[in-house]
Formats: sequence, structure tokens, C-alpha cells
Amino acid sequence: MSKQQKQQRPEEFTLTRRKLISRFGALGGILLTGCYTDFYRPPVIRGGLMGVADTLTMASQRMLMSNQQLVQEHDISEITENFPVWNQSDPDDEEYQRLKAGNYVDWRLPVSGLVNNPISLSLEDLKRMPSRTQTTMHICEQGWSAIAQWTGAPLLSVLQAAGGIKPEARYIMIDAYGGWYEGYDMFDVVHPQTILAYGMNGKDLPLGNGAPVRLRVERHCGYKQLKFIKSIQVVASVEGFGRGTGGLNSDFGFHWYAGA
Amino acid sequence: MPKPAKHWIYRHTPNARICHWIMVLSFFYLLYSGIMIFLHFPELYWGKVGFQGYPAIFKLEDWGISWELAEELGDRRWGRNYHYMFAWIFLINGLIYILWNGWQKKFYRKMLPTKQELSPPHLKSELKRHMKFRAAEGSAAAKYNVLQKLTYLIVLFILFPFMIISGFAQMPAFTAISPELIDMFGGRQTARTLHVICSLLLVLFVVVHLVQMVVTGVLNQLRGMITGKYEITSESSEASS
Repeated sequence: MSKQQKQQRPEEFTLTRRKLISRFGALGGILLTGCYTDFYRPPVIRGGLMGVADTLTMASQRMLMSNQQLVQEHDISEITENFPVWNQSDPDDEEYQRLKAGNYVDWRLPVSGLVNNPISLSLEDLKRMPSRTQTTMHICEQGWSAIAQWTGAPLLSVLQAAGGIKPEARYIMIDAYGGWYEGYDMFDVVHPQTILAYGMNGKDLPLGNGAPVRLRVERHCGYKQLKFIKSIQVVASVEGFGRGTGGLNSDFGFHWYAGA
Repeated sequence: MPKPAKHWIYRHTPNARICHWIMVLSFFYLLYSGIMIFLHFPELYWGKVGFQGYPAIFKLEDWGISWELAEELGDRRWGRNYHYMFAWIFLINGLIYILWNGWQKKFYRKMLPTKQELSPPHLKSELKRHMKFRAAEGSAAAKYNVLQKLTYLIVLFILFPFMIISGFAQMPAFTAISPELIDMFGGRQTARTLHVICSLLLVLFVVVHLVQMVVTGVLNQLRGMITGKYEITSESSEASS
């Protein structure tokens, strides 16, 4: 992300960053009190020892990522041929099929909820925004990994285009075609490598990899890298979405935080 | 004929016993859940990348278990949740054990081999004794023997940390926290493969550990690890009485 983009960050995000940094001053009480701050815990903590383990994993990793360092970027010579197509490869959804037939010209990305100026972006709008290209490793929770180059608009810029978020905003809920949905907290939203990718390996995002737009949220396992994006909603709470755990994967019993 | 004299010693401290059994439980679950996770992707690769169709260095398919069958046998959601839960229990338990014992001199006396024990003739005779499956007797049975000490040191301070670190090197968060760690292993898939190989070494350790228990007396050893009390049959007192 260029210097200019950093300066353009709306107040909400600077505050988020500052809040984030100030929280790390808690020192000794970090493990005890830290678990109760937003970035150290999933929106809903499971019961029992499993919930304790989830929170320990998330809190310890988030502490180690507190200065929002970038993930490793690889040389383009390391890009994997035949990047796997996992999970849904062509959503069985009438609207999606119609958009696909029209080469996604009619595809729109509504950004709504707790934003100051709700908008709806076309693929062209996204492509006109400042872009970021990154060659990163995709790590699947099942065990496989592959390297690809992704090009897209930082999620942060998209929210800026919607006038920035309101102070009570805590999570971003993203809906995908085919019934998939997933929630993310602001810690991931402000990361410079969190992008809405429309390009892969220098070409348009292929169908199997989530055309026309997928999310790259690089510090997570594959199941957080939502494909076939349909809409973005900024919310204060994950309640009311699916079973209320903050994502379809966590509804299924996976850990909401997928840093591993 | 005089009866062999027997006496009791306290072989294991309470903290060693508690930590041991918590470790047994967490090791069992880590192994079981690890197998569950592995079955959902029953191939191993070398280097940075690896996926279905990429040249693998190990395929369960080659051993007669098809990908579909393996997937059916495994339960990665259950496996993943329990793997993390018991990894934390294992890690915290291990840290408590090290902190609890690390500041006590007797821990080092118990665990570290002496110069005399490390001398080639002594090592040789111990190796011979082990090959013959003969248990140590008398005062020697009260202490850990040199091969036992070395094995425990390798397991505690090399294999266990290696499992934890190679686990970290597989996590996407570590591509940001410490990509050097992943590179140190030679890539994410290499870390995964070594994680599996190291777990096999630990299973080998457990098998040998259990065989040793049978050789030296299951009841006495189990009682020793549960109550701390360990029975020693003393040869010297037998001769003198």
C-alpha cells in the first residue's frame, strides 16, 4: 500500500489502529483481560475447554501479528501451475448463472450496513480503484498449499469508497453465491494484503477460483478465502446471520479464527 | 534360602506423576486427532506446495487405502478441534513440568547422564543389557540408566519442541509472524511431512517405553508412576543375610 493511500485512511480506521496498539500496552494482564477485547477473541466463544483453546490460539497469534506485518510474498517463478479448485467451483445459483452468462457485466457488489455512504460497485468500479498485486501462499485447512498471484482492491479502500465505517462497526459479513457467507473482524480488514481479488496470475479470476471476485485474507486458512462474492455488510454484531457464530464454517463447527 | 530383601523408594515426585498422566492423555488424543486430520488429506509432499495431483512423496493410496476411504475414516473437523485443544493442554502441561522442575538440582541429577555413564565401556555394557532385555537390579534400578536418560532428553527437548515448531510452520498466521520459520523447514509441505515423521518417532518411543515397562515389571512401574512408590529388590542385602 502506498503512502498516499495510508494518509487517506478515514478517521474510523486510524482510531481502530490506535485502539489496537493501545491494547497491547496491557502487559501482564494481557492473557486475562486481552481475551475480552475484540481482536483476541472470536465473536462467539464455544463452550468448555475447546473455547479456551480457540481463544488462546487466536489471542496469542493476534498478539504476534500486532504490528500488522505483511505475509511472505513469493517470487512469480514460484507460482503453482494448476492451482487446485476446491469446494464449490460453479455456484448452483440462478442469479449467478445469469451474471456468468453476461460475463459479469451486471455483477454488482453492494456495500451496506454500518457505512457512512452505502454504495454498489460494478466490476469496472473495483478495477478502477487503487489495486494491489501479491504472490502469496494459499494454505488449506485440510493440508494442501499452493502459490498464486492475486490482484485486487484492498477491502479497506472499498470501505473508504463507502464513506468509511461507523464507530459501532465491529465485523464485516460477506455473502457469496451458493449460500456461503463468512465474517471478519477489523483486524483483518485493515491489513494491507486483505483484498477483493478480481485477477489471478495476471488474468481475470477463473471461474473455479471464485469469479468474478473473491476475498484474499492472507493470514487465514483457505476456508476464510471466500469465493464468488455477492455482497458486503458492515455490522456491530454477527447475530442474525446463519446460526449466529459469525460464519458458515464456524456454523459447521470449525474455528471462526482460521490463522490455524 | 534367604528371601531377597525388598525395600521401597519414592521414584517419581508428585508433579512428575501428574504431568506424566496429563501428557499420556494429551499425547493419545493428539495422535488420534492427528490421524483423523491426516486421513482427510492422505498424501505427503516435500517443499513449499503440494495438493491432490502434485507429485507426492507418500500416498496412502499406494498402501491400499483409497482417498475416498481415507476421507470416510477421518473426521477433520473433530480432529482439528481436538488437536488444538490437546496441543494447548500438552504445551501448558510441558511448561509447568519444566518450570516446576527446572529450578531443582535433583531434576538435573535425575535426568543428566554423568561423565562415567557416558564413557564408551559403560554405554556398551548398558546397550548389551538392553539387547538382552534384562532389567537393571539393585541400586541401579532406583535410578534412570544412561540410555533411558538420553532417550528422555531427546524426547523432551528435541522431539516435543520439534512437534510444536513444525506445527507452527504449517499455520497461515506464521506466513506473517515468522516466514523465516517456514523457510527454515524448506517450505510448508516439508514442515507437514516432518511433523508426521516426528510423530512416528514419538510413537516408536511409546512402543519401546511400554516394552521396557513389561521387561522391568508392569505392576511395579505402574504403581511407581501412580503412587510414586517403587519396589527395589536388593542383591547385596540378599548376599549378606
